[in-house]
Amino acid sequence: MKFEWFVASRYLLSRRKQSFISIISVISIAGVGLGVATVILVIAVLDGVEHGLRERFLANEAHVVLRLVDHSFFSEYQDKIERITQVEGVVAASPVVYSQMGVFQTGQKSLTDAIYIKGIDPEQEDKVTSFSQYVSGSVDFKTSPLIEEAELREGETISGGIVLGYRLASQLGLTEGDVLRLVVKLEENTMSMGSPTLFVDFANFVVIGVYESELAIYDSRIGYIDLDTAQELYGNLGKVNVILVRLEDSEMASELRHEIKDAAQFTTTFEYPTTTTWLETHAPLFAALKMEKIATVIIEALIILVAAFNIASTLIMTVMEKTKDIGTLRTLGASRGNITRIFMIQGSIIGMLGTFAGSALGLGLCWLLSTNVARPHLWIGFGTVALLILCQIVLMYKRLIPNPKVKKIGLSLLWIVGICFALYCFVTPISLKELGFSEIYQMNQLPIKVNWFFVCFINLLSFVICWFATIYPAWQASNLKPIEALQYE
Amino acid sequence: MDKLIRIDNLHKSFYDGESELKVLKGVNLDVHKSEILAIMGASGVGKSTLLHIIGTLDRPSDGSIFYEDQDITKFSENELTHFRNDAIGFVFQFHQMLPEFTALENVVMSRLIKNSKRGSSVDAKSSDSNDFYETAEKLLDSVGLSDRLNHYPSQLSGGERQRVAIARALMNNPKVVLADEPTGNIDDKTSDAVLDVLWDVNERLNQTFIIVTHDSRISERAKRTVQLIDGKIAE
Repeated sequence: MKFEWFVASRYLLSRRKQSFISIISVISIAGVGLGVATVILVIAVLDGVEHGLRERFLANEAHVVLRLVDHSFFSEYQDKIERITQVEGVVAASPVVYSQMGVFQTGQKSLTDAIYIKGIDPEQEDKVTSFSQYVSGSVDFKTSPLIEEAELREGETISGGIVLGYRLASQLGLTEGDVLRLVVKLEENTMSMGSPTLFVDFANFVVIGVYESELAIYDSRIGYIDLDTAQELYGNLGKVNVILVRLEDSEMASELRHEIKDAAQFTTTFEYPTTTTWLETHAPLFAALKMEKIATVIIEALIILVAAFNIASTLIMTVMEKTKDIGTLRTLGASRGNITRIFMIQGSIIGMLGTFAGSALGLGLCWLLSTNVARPHLWIGFGTVALLILCQIVLMYKRLIPNPKVKKIGLSLLWIVGICFALYCFVTPISLKELGFSEIYQMNQLPIKVNWFFVCFINLLSFVICWFATIYPAWQASNLKPIEALQYE
Repeated sequence: MDKLIRIDNLHKSFYDGESELKVLKGVNLDVHKSEILAIMGASGVGKSTLLHIIGTLDRPSDGSIFYEDQDITKFSENELTHFRNDAIGFVFQFHQMLPEFTALENVVMSRLIKNSKRGSSVDAKSSDSNDFYETAEKLLDSVGLSDRLNHYPSQLSGGERQRVAIARALMNNPKVVLADEPTGNIDDKTSDAVLDVLWDVNERLNQTFIIVTHDSRISERAKRTVQLIDGKIAE
């Protein structure tokens, strides 16, 4: 151990006389630690939200959506899909009839809701999104036995099966086998005499499955029907209004969108194609998340800065308390550089301990919040804390361990292990579903994703801030004149 | 007798706002190798100031101090620090021990500082530093404290602390040990024991001592005594 490290570490660990300063050192370490732990945890949650949303968006959505500017239908879509799939970087493409329909619930004489309907070919859709993966029930829109059963039961024509988002199904009070009446068209009847009347075209569907993607925007708004049925209902046989495209690399969407549009070859007059990427669709959300992360880092950096001021004040007090020692060391031949380094090392050790303790706490909490394993009962956690306090009191007043060093190390270890175990009992993954936040946050469990690059960055940032905090007190110490320091009272 | 230190027309003034307080007014003094020189004088006459200047802890207003023909008043701050570490040992009235360190660590400290300056990789607890600790142990043994090596200053008596301070002053084998009222804070019996140690070291190691004191017993035992009167030396 070098001379400066030798002196600095002794000043840090020594509890003789200046126990007040030792307590402040501990508070400084705790301050830095809490700042670092909080920032790691908050950023892990924000990253988890972003990552979770991305994963879900990418599983449920196409990377590029091709349509006409006026949302109208276009023909020869299979040829277009064939050409699009030949574009390098494109994995698959799928035709979709995308529309909105009104819900006409049995027993009610008015429209109760409007939902989005996607007419899809399940086989092709699965190549673009993970549709079937999220469906419980059947995706057999045309031949599900539930259709025939419903026809016999209701005595009405059934257009086919429908897969509803599970939230939507729940809102409408529908389960598998129930019939849903949808308003396909609502047109003014221009042939009627007198006051204008509306021409309403209904279609009945049987719920054959529910779709649960954990994304509220899908689970509460969309119903899936067969592509042919949708085309038939809209009188657009052989036509679709959307082509969904999946890429090898979702991040290439912006680069490939123009190639995809060109490959589709819309040649007919008044057909103006346009493409939308998945990133564009969710740009405001990702921008908001990014902004939130930046704001969090700034706020947390300020917390660490406050903790660093604490380090500075601890060191200034240490310098005042050690003035005579500084005089002695200068008398023994220590240079100003030696003295500067002693106090900078002392402050840096505080910063380093705080940073590492904070990282351990932050990462530990991230692990606890993301690990779904059975935990001991909460009372065992409370019991552990009570036992720790009892041990502390007993060891404080009874001389069970005569060696103070052994006692100190033993108690410290006991507290560390005890608190870790108590946290293991108390901190469990947070269910947003149970808290009723799953619709707001689009997911059922508080997501956690540790960004190791950021953990390294915040460790470095915290250490640098703490290091800067040591400069003034160390400079102050080194500037003391030996004689004045020796005569300091 | 070989001359170790030559002080030439040394002046020191202190300024308090506009007024000037002249403390040393042309001190001329030679210190010889291996002698014990006692500097006596009334309180406030400037004995400690003179000792601090000889010990490079303070700079003179005028005049020169030669250590074996080296004028240390021309030294830079950095050179003075090196010189202090290498060539001078201090014993103060209030021992000035580092309370967080044991007697042994206090003694070895100046050698660790010396090492840190030379950019040596020898660290405070490595086996290479064992030599330092052995030297320190021997020094503490020579002042009768072999059973107090790992005691902290708070666990030592006043006389023991002063003996540790003497051992610490000798650690880097200095040219001179400067003692400022070494018996000023301890009782007569303990003072005798401390003085015995000083004289013993002087005899065994031919160590030069300059002692600033009020204690007549020191002047009686010292090889040479000078008086500081009105800022000047009177033999």
